[in-house]
Amino acid sequence: MSRTSKFMTEPISCDMDSPKSTPATFRETEFEKRRGVSRIEVRTGFAQVHVSEIAAPAMVGRLKVLKAVSEQQVSIDFLKLTPSGLSFLVSEDRAGAVQTVLEASGFSFVVSSGRSIVLVHAVNMRDEEGLISRIVQTVIGTNVSVDHIGDMHDRLLLVVKDADAAKVAQRFRESLIPTELER
Amino acid sequence: MNIKVMKFGGTSVATPEARMTSALRVISAKEQGFQPVVVVSAIGRRGAPYATDTLINVLKEIDPSVEPDARELDLMIACGEIMSAVIFAHTLKTLGHSAQAFRGGQAGIRTDGVYGNARIVGIHPVSLFNSIEKGAIPVVCGFQGVYVSGDGAPGGELTTLGRGGSDTSGAAIGAALKATAVEIFTDVDGVKTADPDAVPNASTLRKVTYDEVAEIAHLGAKVVHPRAAEIAMQYDIPLWVKNTFSDDEGTEIVKREKHPGRRATGVTHTGKLVYLQFDLSSAGTETERTELEARIYETMARYEINLFMLNLSPNSTGFAVPRAQYSTVADVLDGLVIPLKGKVFLFQIGRNASREVETQATLLESLGDVRRVVAELTEGCTMVSLVGHEFMQTPGLFFDVLSTLNDAQISVLQTSDSDFSLSVLIPESESNRAVRLLHDRFKLSLVS
Repeated sequence: MSRTSKFMTEPISCDMDSPKSTPATFRETEFEKRRGVSRIEVRTGFAQVHVSEIAAPAMVGRLKVLKAVSEQQVSIDFLKLTPSGLSFLVSEDRAGAVQTVLEASGFSFVVSSGRSIVLVHAVNMRDEEGLISRIVQTVIGTNVSVDHIGDMHDRLLLVVKDADAAKVAQRFRESLIPTELER
Repeated sequence: MNIKVMKFGGTSVATPEARMTSALRVISAKEQGFQPVVVVSAIGRRGAPYATDTLINVLKEIDPSVEPDARELDLMIACGEIMSAVIFAHTLKTLGHSAQAFRGGQAGIRTDGVYGNARIVGIHPVSLFNSIEKGAIPVVCGFQGVYVSGDGAPGGELTTLGRGGSDTSGAAIGAALKATAVEIFTDVDGVKTADPDAVPNASTLRKVTYDEVAEIAHLGAKVVHPRAAEIAMQYDIPLWVKNTFSDDEGTEIVKREKHPGRRATGVTHTGKLVYLQFDLSSAGTETERTELEARIYETMARYEINLFMLNLSPNSTGFAVPRAQYSTVADVLDGLVIPLKGKVFLFQIGRNASREVETQATLLESLGDVRRVVAELTEGCTMVSLVGHEFMQTPGLFFDVLSTLNDAQISVLQTSDSDFSLSVLIPESESNRAVRLLHDRFKLSLVS
């Protein structure tokens, strides 16, 4: 074996017995994360809270909602501002507390339990032109109702009903993940 | 072999004095018993004679209407690092130390072949080991590698690694050589809690996790590229960010388990964005609304538009796009006509209809039920983000961020959040003020 082999970390592969081998013997590795969608994940146990008809100025009303929820020591995720209100996710076991406080404060709201987050993982997705649009286009093509959608640099998150999560995840696996990767 | 990879950024190799300071750091590492392997960026930052953007402009100025080929562009801009590596190696020689310069391909860096934005698929560092064995200090060009096609075409195609490429080269070479450490040298003391231009009293973080630094970097901090952090994390290589020009200890990037604890880590800002919020209330049914959404996103995908801060609500959808891509978005969406089951939907960007939209509306009048889909347009936006470690689940965090900005009359157009960050879309003119306010609100000048 070539003396250089002792320095090689496992996933960085080459023809160890032939350091002067042609470049063609070099095998692609997972050295940097692969472009595009790499993994689909489903997280369950959420409730979607949608508060609407907040009087202008909307931000003042939104802050009242957020303050009321925070006073119940409820942590929220996935906050989105809507034209006349806001929506966010809470853990399903805290949905009752949120409902109680919003009712007491007189807000117009809907709490939808049984929600899942489908996460589409893709490295540097904001730098991959058109990728986010393709993902959104794919989910719309499933005819599943998407409560909300959010993006980060390495994943897109979609809130759907628990019953639809598996269908959406499967469509993503079929449409967006290359066959050579584990679906 | 106690290898230390030392990567020097543009300012660290910009002048003879800077190169001498950097070279002395390399020699010092060697005298401490390390085997240094150097990775260099091109000389100087934007505007410098051999900086990447200058080399690009040399081609573009020939005829601005003709876009250079990506392949030729890569060959051109790779010259910046080649010059830098040769000059740095020669500087080491003048100080009495044997050194050898290597192009990325000569150092064994193989890529996936995407010009201008290649990713490293493997490293075959035989020539680096041979150089070390001969007692030399290898000096490798950052930001580049070669793509070798399946038939093993001789030489391979030179490809550059895109943004953060030299940091990525440094971390990848560190992984391939099983380095003791990778040190990223720059002109600031380490990873800061905010951009010092916005917050002069921003602290230098002494320890951050790979996750934190990747998040900070993705969201605008320029001190180390997330691709480098991701490689270092994957291969468990100690990664440091240090200042070439000071003796500050710098920032150590560590595993999550070694983190000092729950905290807000920093505030960043990034992006020149345009925000579009589509009012879909003219859709009469859920099916029509879904169809309109589908057409919007299908169009964005077809024209390869990058989207940020997406949102969907019962009667609207919205997103931000990079300002550089906005003219394409306006071209394809303003005046777009979508017929749906006896109705015609006409897209309008902005509250005031363009001449094209008015012309379309006149032409479509005879078709009957014409409905407008108006996208409210906010130009001149940017994204400000609070990054934290085990911090985003804090009850009341959204209230604290939004009320801090609201109290200062800074309007927030949209938000997005992750396990490590909370971002707000605000007017770009308020960017520095928002960063300062959040930095103060979360007492980040006390973080270390």
